[in-house]
Amino acid sequence: MDLLNHLALGFGVALAPVNLMYALIGALLGTLIGVLPGIGPVATIAMLLPTTYALQPESALIMLAGIYYGAQYGGSTTSILINMPGETSSAVTCLDGHQMALQGQAGAALAIAALGSFFAGCVATVFVAAFSPPLSELALKFGAAEYFSLMVLGLLGAVVLAHGSLLKAIAMIVFGLLLGIVGTDVNSGVTRFAFGIPELSDGIGVVSVAMGLFGFAEIITNLEGKEKRDIVAAKVKGLWISKAQFRAAWPAVLRGTGLGSVLGLLPGGGAMLASFASYALEKKVAKDPSRFGKGAIQGVAGPESANNAGAQTSFIPLLTLGIPENAVMALMVGAMTIHNIQPGPQVMTSNPTLFWGLVASMWVGNLMLVVLNLPLIGMWIKLLQVPYRILYPAILLFCAIGVYTISNATFDVIQTAAMGFLGVVFVKLECEPAPLLLGFVLGPMMEENLRRALLLSRGDPTVFVTRPLSLVMLLMAASLLLLIVIPNIRRRRADVFAEEA
Amino acid sequence: MAVIRHPKDFYAGLLFTGIGIAAIVLASQYQLGTAAKMGPGYFPRGLGMLLTVLGAVLVVRSLRIQGTAIPPWNWRSTCVILGSVVLFGLVVEKLGLAASTLGLIVFASTASPEFRLKEAVLSGLFFALLAVGVFIVGLKLQLPIWPIWLASNGQAPAWIS
Amino acid sequence: MTAALRLLAAVAMAAAAALGAAPAAAQTYPSKPIRLVVPFPPSGATDIVARTLAQKLGDALGTSIVVDNRPGAGGTIGSDIVAKAAPDGYTLLLSTTSTHSIAPSLYAKLPYSVERDFVPVIHVADATNILVVTPSLPAANVRELIALAKAKPGALNYASSGNGTIVHLTAELFASSAGIKLTHVPYKGTALALTDLMTGQVSILFDNIVSALPHVRDGKLKALAVTSARRSPLVPEVPTVSESGLPGFVSDTYFGVFAPAATSPEVIARINAAINKVLAAPDYQERLATLGAQAAGGTPEQFAAIVRSETAKWSRVVKESGASAE
Repeated sequence: MDLLNHLALGFGVALAPVNLMYALIGALLGTLIGVLPGIGPVATIAMLLPTTYALQPESALIMLAGIYYGAQYGGSTTSILINMPGETSSAVTCLDGHQMALQGQAGAALAIAALGSFFAGCVATVFVAAFSPPLSELALKFGAAEYFSLMVLGLLGAVVLAHGSLLKAIAMIVFGLLLGIVGTDVNSGVTRFAFGIPELSDGIGVVSVAMGLFGFAEIITNLEGKEKRDIVAAKVKGLWISKAQFRAAWPAVLRGTGLGSVLGLLPGGGAMLASFASYALEKKVAKDPSRFGKGAIQGVAGPESANNAGAQTSFIPLLTLGIPENAVMALMVGAMTIHNIQPGPQVMTSNPTLFWGLVASMWVGNLMLVVLNLPLIGMWIKLLQVPYRILYPAILLFCAIGVYTISNATFDVIQTAAMGFLGVVFVKLECEPAPLLLGFVLGPMMEENLRRALLLSRGDPTVFVTRPLSLVMLLMAASLLLLIVIPNIRRRRADVFAEEA
Repeated sequence: MAVIRHPKDFYAGLLFTGIGIAAIVLASQYQLGTAAKMGPGYFPRGLGMLLTVLGAVLVVRSLRIQGTAIPPWNWRSTCVILGSVVLFGLVVEKLGLAASTLGLIVFASTASPEFRLKEAVLSGLFFALLAVGVFIVGLKLQLPIWPIWLASNGQAPAWIS
Repeated sequence: MTAALRLLAAVAMAAAAALGAAPAAAQTYPSKPIRLVVPFPPSGATDIVARTLAQKLGDALGTSIVVDNRPGAGGTIGSDIVAKAAPDGYTLLLSTTSTHSIAPSLYAKLPYSVERDFVPVIHVADATNILVVTPSLPAANVRELIALAKAKPGALNYASSGNGTIVHLTAELFASSAGIKLTHVPYKGTALALTDLMTGQVSILFDNIVSALPHVRDGKLKALAVTSARRSPLVPEVPTVSESGLPGFVSDTYFGVFAPAATSPEVIARINAAINKVLAAPDYQERLATLGAQAAGGTPEQFAAIVRSETAKWSRVVKESGASAE
């Protein structure tokens, strides 16, 4: 069995003491920067890239990969504890994870996040090991029309994310779309909505938006009262997850893993889209959707599994096609190039030690991460009990440093503060930031692909329905739309009748 | 005279309408193109129109449906928190990470109703040490530790590589 | 009383040290680390060239070279930082054709002026592009491609990594030299462009050699020509565009070091000499070759001439193609 031989080779490499050490370093670093808001795997990998010149290529890639998927583990910690997304793909975890923490369930939330991430990481690695070639064929089938339809589907899913007023949620999505347009338009080269500021010509940074809208706004509104306010008002109900919670959560983990594995293949933010999509899916299939937003464990289990699965499978296009599909993968390409390895389809055959060593180390790394993260839960809970007046300035500090180091630019810090201000406005007016964030991320891709699809088809709009994959997704979007609108209309009419009665 | 029954929706609607109109105006300065060959202004203008409509509907609806009042806004909290972050961003390269951290922690702490100066300063010193250790030594960030003018006598530089 | 006197003494000493240090620094350049600004994100081609140079240059000059990434706005933000930096020889810029020969004609309002704010130090390397097409395209060489394009004007499309990039402008230069009309399909970076190229959604791409090569070797893309003046050692079997029917066609990207305009000529000469030494080393040249680049070198005046001629060439292409970034 070829696969077993390959895996044996791979584990031989991955379990070599030096590579174990690098996997551990990567996992530790990844968890650390995942927890630190603002600093993400992109910045860290970029900074550490030069130090990997001296290492063996396998060790370098093992460490860098460890940082990437390790960050997905750590990102959920701050989302749950302080409503600040440590990674943008953990923004969704804030919604229910933080609510669970406020109800004293922080331990359970952190536990299911770690367990779900571990399960998803392992399963997704199986996909990488066994199904890379056919999965990469799937990735190749996605052209501009398919991306557009996927984005439409994704945005409709964003509507499902909303807990409160549907109308306001849609408005927030549109607002997010507009914010995403700030910057250079790919199709024409024109810089839009930048008011002559060069730093805006690449758009508003997603970290600034996430951190400002979620994190800063939260801190500001927490401090407005005159009373003492600690993060965890309720008594912490134990550090582990109960049987009942586990039973409720594991189907979400399965669904999230599946969704994340598929979406991670697609270029352009697979992990983030996966977590949002998983949340929307969970809310739709739940028996009682109204629990979402108030501490539903599926709202943590699904997205956390999805973003880890997405992080693993996003290696596939890189390792099989040589195409980096997000910023982190692009850095991996740099790491390989530096070691004289041309990333491409032949990496699997001409460098089997590298490929299978990397794959095997993904399991090793995931194991290390779950072993690291579970005991840390107790430590995090202790940290929560530090008085808020000492904790929040520290949070602000790490955010400020994190944002600054993205491009060594003061402007990014100011931008985040502006988003923070907007975030406070939204809290006061009861507008939810999550739909805006999703619109912000998906909007530019949607427009870019819409115009590119029309450019490629020379102005023919039927291309969206004549290409089968695109048609399927548009049909799914249409049915999702109906699923959303019909109950709402019925409810509205009942409201109106009740009013006028 | 219409009564604003749902103030949150009313002002949210106004906000959205305003942004929508601004988007339409700004987008009009770019080429619009046609539906088949969209210019850079087409999509933003469409979004602006949609947002304006949504905002208007919210405003109209807010005159009829009941809603809770907008919570009061404590300006001090907003200004101190955002101000401390902005100041940090402005001075970190000139004053170095250590001093900027101390300043940020102490200033930001004043927003809390439980502010105690000695505690804030101690906390600031602790985190300054921690930040330098984690970010500059650990993650090898390119930030000066000490103020620039202390290190310009040709010796060990403020930049650590 | 004594405390105040002590304070005054300390301040006086510090001031003396600062003042006294200044003239000494000029005679013993370099006396502290040098900051090499790279106006592009980490791990891109420019960044890798800079980092490999920094390592060796540091040894040659006897100090450490710190690479500082300042990405944004197509490289103009980082370039502007150096334009406005102190001309003491401790801040340098490593940049490319895009910021110093294309940006002036692409952007209506550039915050810096290449002629006025910079002095060229040395031409570090050249990178070149390769013309690749989708395998299903019925053209085996450049001549057939041009014939195909002439038969159906505007029907053939080409991908680029963005408006105003070398990838885009090289294609425009090609099209205008050959007298054909191609449709431009811009992408953000080459990753998605390569995917669409392999599946036939777009037909043509002038990509960086190193990024396209694995796909060519794997049969997923067809290589028709390279855009340099001479064949590339990485793909010696591929002819140049110049050999294939458009004599004189050349499109290279230069990597070079610039300093703020008022930097003293002695300092520039020192840096120039040190980098020339680094470039002459065979292991460095090998390093560059793996990036698809070829070491250059030379005097500052030679580099200045190159910058000027490239600027003239690309500004013509930009104008003719109507590309702009405003």
